[in-house]
Amino acid sequence: MDTIKYIFKRILQTIPLLIIVSMISFFIIRLSPVDPLAELKLNPSVSPETVEKERARLGLDKPVIVQYGKWAISFVKGDLGVTSTGEKVSQKLAERIPNTLLLTAIVILLTWLVGVPLGIIAAVHWRSNFDRLLTVLTSIGMAIPSFFFAVLLLMFAVKTGWFPIGGLTSPNFVDMSFGEKFWDITHHLILPVIVLFTISLAGLQRQMRANMLDVLDSDYVKFARAKGLSEWVVIYKHALRNAVNPMITLLGFEFAGLLSGAALTEYVFQYTGLGRLILEAVMKSDINLVMASLMMGAVMLILGNLIADILLIITDPRIRSKA
Amino acid sequence: MLLCVIALFCKACIVRDVQPKITSEVKTSASDLALSYSMPKNVTINGIDYLQSQAPVGIFGGTLVSSTIGEGPKTFNPFNCKDNTSAIMSGVMYDGLFTTNPVTGEVAPKLAKGYTISPDGKVYTIYLRQGIRWSDGKPITADDVVFTWQNIIFGGMGDTSTRDSLVINGKLPTVRKYGDNVVVFSTPEPYAPFLRMLSAPIAPKHVFYDAVQKGNAYFDSFLSTNAKPKDFVVSGAFKLKEYVPAQRVVFERNPNYYEINAKNQKLPYLDKLVYLIVGDLNNEVLKFEAKELDVISLQGSKVARYKSLESHSDFKLYNLGPDTGTMYISMNLNNRKNDKGKYYVNPIKQKWFSDLNFRTAVDYAVDRKSMVLNIANGIGEPLFTPESLNSIYLNKKLKPYDKNLDKAKALLKKSGFRTDKKGRLFDKDGHRVEFDLYTNAGNTEREAIGVMVKQDLEDLGMKVNFKPIEFNSLVNKLVSTFDWDMVIMGLTGSPLEPNGGKNVWLSDGRLHMFNMRTPQEGKIGILPWERELDEMFDKGALATKFEDRKVYYDKYQEIVYTQKPMIYIYSPIRIVAIRNKFKNIYPTSLGGLTHNIEEIYINKGSKIQGH
Repeated sequence: MDTIKYIFKRILQTIPLLIIVSMISFFIIRLSPVDPLAELKLNPSVSPETVEKERARLGLDKPVIVQYGKWAISFVKGDLGVTSTGEKVSQKLAERIPNTLLLTAIVILLTWLVGVPLGIIAAVHWRSNFDRLLTVLTSIGMAIPSFFFAVLLLMFAVKTGWFPIGGLTSPNFVDMSFGEKFWDITHHLILPVIVLFTISLAGLQRQMRANMLDVLDSDYVKFARAKGLSEWVVIYKHALRNAVNPMITLLGFEFAGLLSGAALTEYVFQYTGLGRLILEAVMKSDINLVMASLMMGAVMLILGNLIADILLIITDPRIRSKA
Repeated sequence: MLLCVIALFCKACIVRDVQPKITSEVKTSASDLALSYSMPKNVTINGIDYLQSQAPVGIFGGTLVSSTIGEGPKTFNPFNCKDNTSAIMSGVMYDGLFTTNPVTGEVAPKLAKGYTISPDGKVYTIYLRQGIRWSDGKPITADDVVFTWQNIIFGGMGDTSTRDSLVINGKLPTVRKYGDNVVVFSTPEPYAPFLRMLSAPIAPKHVFYDAVQKGNAYFDSFLSTNAKPKDFVVSGAFKLKEYVPAQRVVFERNPNYYEINAKNQKLPYLDKLVYLIVGDLNNEVLKFEAKELDVISLQGSKVARYKSLESHSDFKLYNLGPDTGTMYISMNLNNRKNDKGKYYVNPIKQKWFSDLNFRTAVDYAVDRKSMVLNIANGIGEPLFTPESLNSIYLNKKLKPYDKNLDKAKALLKKSGFRTDKKGRLFDKDGHRVEFDLYTNAGNTEREAIGVMVKQDLEDLGMKVNFKPIEFNSLVNKLVSTFDWDMVIMGLTGSPLEPNGGKNVWLSDGRLHMFNMRTPQEGKIGILPWERELDEMFDKGALATKFEDRKVYYDKYQEIVYTQKPMIYIYSPIRIVAIRNKFKNIYPTSLGGLTHNIEEIYINKGSKIQGH
């Protein structure tokens, strides 16, 4: 019961937060000197009447505060509005969300499945050759800029012809059988996944290793060892359960990252994800689209933290009693 | 492992980049081929008026993969296109009454088989083809044409630019049908650009009728990118098969297309036409090299490499001649105040920019030849006129000239400018000549031009603060807030119809950037030569004969050439590459590479050599 009350309280707290986030982002976008109609205005064959019509359609002829009010009302009603080119924002997002989810989910799954065990092993075999090798590799992984790595892999793909040059599906995708479709998508995903995996694996592995080292150094682990428990039990029953707490908080952030995507990598690989869509929207000051994505990001972050907190309550009895 | 991969790349790069020195000569193979191209002719078989291809008979089947840079089409509704990509996509599907002969630039028949114009130049009689059909099998008739013009275009549906430019003395042309295959347009005054405007796409009435009835808001989202492929009823050679957002647009052949080959088989030859949506130029190049693309348009620096690869690769380069885009430097001649009583341009700078000697000195200081060599890698032509070099209205009497610093300095001296011992330039009131030069950040070509212009002008002792800023912000400065000194920009124009540039040149035009007036200001403070420009554009639009119009448009180019409100720099030359297996390729300067897409076929035999 207490837990449910706690969740309810947390959800109520997010409302003022969302309002503030939306106001700040709306006014910053609108106050920037970017003109959403610039391209139209610079096209000699578009008449002034058309430009005026567009201005009225996008509501740019009204004061910013009125624009915000209009946006907020329709947002609360669940209508995300239309993009500057007249397409439905919700539809635009719906087109991209599955693609981004596919990519980020695979990457997160892989990094956690590989990163956490590697972190534990490195901590247990602290200062062994294996640990040192991992340190070198993860340092490289953390140091290499994602876009640069992506470009290198693209050049690799061009040279060898082993991988397609970006995108998600081949031109003849519709005519393929299910098995071929599955292979086609996998084939397209390999390179972007490698890039994102390399980058995020490094951070996660180091984090896990540091946590584990901290715990291994603590008195109760020494005590457990002194008691004569087997090394296996010491590490996996006593140390690990304590070391994993900070990782759960981290998982909350990872959840928020599910939909924010990796704009740079998506851009280089011409991957049709949210990151690229939003990057392009910001460049054109496409307000409804940018606002929708920012709000989505904010909600995901809040939700992620909430989930992490709930998970912590479940795993850690100390927090449970306080909540 | 990573290091190994990197090392491998580096090795690959070295081999690639150290190519033999390249001369920029890609022979003008396009113009020779263009001359051998003959337009399809009208033929009547069993009462159906076909268009018959005169090109060699080819083989049916296959796919051509092309690309479009950016975010892809915003709509497939041909009357809603406000951007180039959407216009190309709908242009593939919807034919107009006429098209442009890609070799001569004359008006050529498409859905119409011919036309006559009354002696007073006001009445256009259009004869439609008999027996031709939409992709769903319904006949294409005069009703469709009248509906398109009356209800969609004149009715103000979608993008109203065509209608807005057709209002002559407050009146629109009228359109009426006589029987199923004759349509008559009458304009209130003779209006020369009208005939070319008739190449606007024609909509199938039975599909568009409901959308038009539901009004503007519905029409704006009608046949948008969310529409299902089966909802499209088209007259063009290809029909939408699949659209995957941000990835590709796939077209399939329209089985009812009205063009046939010499053996009376229905065109097009290709089964599919695919446009991949690519984010930027680099990705496009990678995709071409990985053979995912069949066609690519090349920028200056890439041409040299492709030229050296051409001989042992499966593609061929074609030179399409100068681009229709023009790049220019412009100074802000605005001498008015904004609504807060503040000058848009600092009055000290106003004096410089409004001085013809100053503008001419800037012009003579600019080294176009070295820009062509260094920035466009020699793939360009210096430009001195507002009409692009392939325009049929180009004034050939306006002679090019070279950089001439002495002449520039003499002109500045004449206007009282002087330089101090350190070579810094001051005006006659003792103010240091210093101003901002803007261009849009991210356009590497313009940024490079900016750096060279800055250096050239510093030879005259001017201090130039070169500031590349974000595109949308720059446009805002140019057309809304007017707070800029000098700018490097580009515009695209039509090589066939100078009247399209009236938004730029009319003194109250929406893009009259060098001396922009707000709509409230009207034609306030008009300069004598601006008045002359207005006159030339008004007369040019109303004259009907090419020769008469040429006189007016020659004069307009001459005014710009001497008054220098815009100083033109160069036109890039368009180089395109296409795989050898494609035949019936007749690239022209006006039509580009795939103007005859329905005649292009794949020679299956050449595959062995290709892959």
